[in-house]
Order: sequence, then structure tokens, then C-alpha cells
Amino acid sequence: MSAPAGEPEASSVRVLVADDDADIRDLVEFKLTQAGYAVEAVPDGISAWEAFAANPPQLAVLDVMMPGLSGIDVLRKIRESDNPSVPVLLLSAKSRDSDVDTGFAVGADDYVIKPFSPRELLHRVNGMLARAR
Amino acid sequence: MIVGGALLLGVTLAVLGGCLLLVLAVVAVRARRRSRQQRDQMLLSPLRGPLITVASGEDDDGSATEQLTWATGVTRTVLDRNIVELLTKIRGGPADQLVRVLEVHGAVEAATGDLRHRSSVRRARAAQLLGLARADHTVPQLVEALRDESVEVRNSAAYALGLIGDPSAAGPVLAAIGMPDRGLPAATAAEALQSMGVGISEVLREGMRDDNARTRVVAAHLSGERSFTRGLPELRHLLDHDADLTVRETAATAIGRLGRDEDAVVLARHTATDEPLSLRRACVQALGELGDGAAVPVLAALLDDPDPRLAELSASALLALGPVGRDALSGHEDEPAVRTARLVASLQKASA
Repeated sequence: MSAPAGEPEASSVRVLVADDDADIRDLVEFKLTQAGYAVEAVPDGISAWEAFAANPPQLAVLDVMMPGLSGIDVLRKIRESDNPSVPVLLLSAKSRDSDVDTGFAVGADDYVIKPFSPRELLHRVNGMLARAR
Repeated sequence: MIVGGALLLGVTLAVLGGCLLLVLAVVAVRARRRSRQQRDQMLLSPLRGPLITVASGEDDDGSATEQLTWATGVTRTVLDRNIVELLTKIRGGPADQLVRVLEVHGAVEAATGDLRHRSSVRRARAAQLLGLARADHTVPQLVEALRDESVEVRNSAAYALGLIGDPSAAGPVLAAIGMPDRGLPAATAAEALQSMGVGISEVLREGMRDDNARTRVVAAHLSGERSFTRGLPELRHLLDHDADLTVRETAATAIGRLGRDEDAVVLARHTATDEPLSLRRACVQALGELGDGAAVPVLAALLDDPDPRLAELSASALLALGPVGRDALSGHEDEPAVRTARLVASLQKASA
């Protein structure tokens, strides 16, 4: 599935995906790659922060509960970095209002609750990138 | 002396031997588990690509789905287990496609049969699969599983019924809470009922008249959570007359959420000093939530209550009532209860 007409040209856009669940990591990577994004997928928060610091992506999809650094920790570090305005989407099984509030309070641009629809995730990524341009 | 020393040595050796056996058993179990995981990964490896294609919703021509349906034997068992796991993570079209694979494999039919398996683990897994597959034709069997002798199976059946979301199961789920010796945990029942839509309001009203206090608590709590105003008469009755204190507190909280202005009088009545302290606190919080200015005199009087927590809750409730409530705090600004309530309010505002 390629990016819909009117959406930003995806091929040159790099997206960082961090999730310790291999199923989620693989399917989000596959979905976004099929849409034309250049995806770097990593299995934990520390790798996510290292990947971000080494080469900041145009957007990051972070799982909230990861070993080492949580998605919230990584998000906090991103917002304190030299590239604080990179859009971040949090993906999490934590569905309570307070969890979502915390995500947005720390600076998330979007919050998707698992179980999630891969199609909806792609639409949200497209929308966030369009707004960021 | 020698006999005592030999006995001590014998006991020590026996304990050490026991520990060694235990360690060996743990290592063996872990090794077996790891070897099984490796075998599963190997079996699944050729199907990993098609599985991710289907799960990501990219199988436009259906070829990946078809490939998954061809799996046989142990590979099929491992694949089905993986699909069930994936169904806990994704929803929408891809989930429906994966359910179709399970159906072609006969996994849904097998799970229906497994609800009567002698192993409680198999019964619980079967119920979970039927829920994740949204197998609504199995609601009667899942309702029956709510009476299973194993609490894991009962929990799993309630979880499945919640996922299926058929409101016709609401009555049995609520009734299962109060089942003698085989009761369903109240939290599990509440979670399942939460997923059943608006069609359960009458069941909740009925539940508030149940003989079992835990059933009444869940019914009252959910009536408030879901804003089912038709349950207000029952909630008022529970607050005024129920024999169980937790039921009364839950009813007060629910009235705070969905009550009418006239309920301020009902709640205020139960803040009197002859009522249990926990109920008075629940009613004060509910008055703040209800938001009717008629509560101001009652709450203002409670600022001087000997219980510091009740005084603080009263101050918070007055703050929640807006300008009319804040006016009532003038003259009390230096009191610890008011200072704490203001601090809590500002922290809440900052974190919102």
C-alpha cells in the first residue's frame, strides 16, 4: 500500500520504530516500508535513543513499555535534544486516561492504544508528517 | 555425641541433595522450554513473512492468507498459537483475516470442543481463542464456562464474552459474581460488562437488587461509569438503605457522576456525623462531582470537621463547585484543609 494521493512523498522520509515485541516491530516496519518510508526498527529504548541521537528521523513510533528506557523516557530525551520537534507517536497497551495524559504531557504528538489497526496507524503517521511540513 | 553429629551430617546432605535436585529440575524445564521455542521458531520461519503481511493489512490479493491456510500438523498448531497472540495486539481488517485462517484450520471449532476438555489450561485457552476470534455463536458455551470449577476458566470465559460484546451475556456475567464457591472476581466481571455496550442498563438495574453485595457493587459502579441515568432510583435506594457499607459508598460515587440537582440533598443527608466516616467522605466527594450549588452550606460546615481528610475533601468539593464554592472558602484560607485542597487542585491542573 503506497501513501495515498495528497499525502507527503514517503520515499525520502525516515521513520524510527521502537518496540520490544517482535510481532509489532515487524508488522509496523513492514506496513510503513510498504507505504514507502525508510524504516529503522529497534528492539528497546536504549537502541531507540542511540539511533535517534546518531541520525534523527523525521518521525518516531515508540512503544511505551520497553526494557532499559521506556518510550516515555526516550520521548523526554528527544524533547530535550537538539531536535526536539520531531513528531513522536506513542504506541501502547496502557489504555487508561492517566496513561494517555502522561504521554501527551511529556510531549507526544499522538497516542495509539494496542490492540491497534495497522491501517489507522499509517493514516496517523501520514497525517503527522503532513502537519510537520 | 557421635550419633548426633552423624544425624546432622545426614540431614545437611539430604537438604543439599534436595536443593540440587530442585536446581536440576528448573534447568531441565528451562532447557525444554527453550528447545520448544527454537523448534516453534524454526517451524514458523517459512510462514513469518506471510503472517506479517496479513497482520499488517497488506495482503491485498489474499495470497499470504492462502499460504497460511495450507499449514498442517505441528506447524499449524504453532501458527495458530501465534495468530491467537497476534489477535491480542491488532484489530480491524487484518485481525478478521487472521480469524478466517483459524476458522479454515478448524481451530475455532476445536476450541468450542476444548471448553469441555479435562485440562483446565486447555479450557481457559479455548475460551480465550473464542473471544479473540469474536465467535459470537459460542456465547451459550462461554456462558456455561462461567460456572467452570476452575477460576482461570471462569475468568477467561468472562474475558471472551467481553470481547464478543453480546449484551445477552451481561445477565449471566453479573450473576456469576455471586455464585457460591465458584464466584467470578468482581473486577473481571466489571471489565467484561464494560465492553457490552449500552444494552446492559436494565441488567445493571436488576443487579442492584441482587442478594449478593459484590454483585450490587459492580452494578452500581458500572451504572455510574456508563452514566445509565435509568438506574438512579436504584442507586438512591442503595445509598439510603443497603446493609453493606461498600455498596452504599459505591452508590454515592455513582450518584455524584450521574445524579440530578435534587440528589445534592440525598448525598448531603449522609454526610451527617452519625454516618460511617468512609460513607461521609464518599458523599462529600460525590457532592463536588455533582456540581450543584445547593451543597455549599453543607460542605462549608464540614470544613471544621474533626476528621482532617473529610475537611480537606470538603474544601476540594467547594473548589470544584466554581465561584460559589470558592466564596464559601473565604475566611478559611489559612486552614490546613483548604491549603491542601488548593495544592492538590493546582497539581491536578498542572498535570492535565
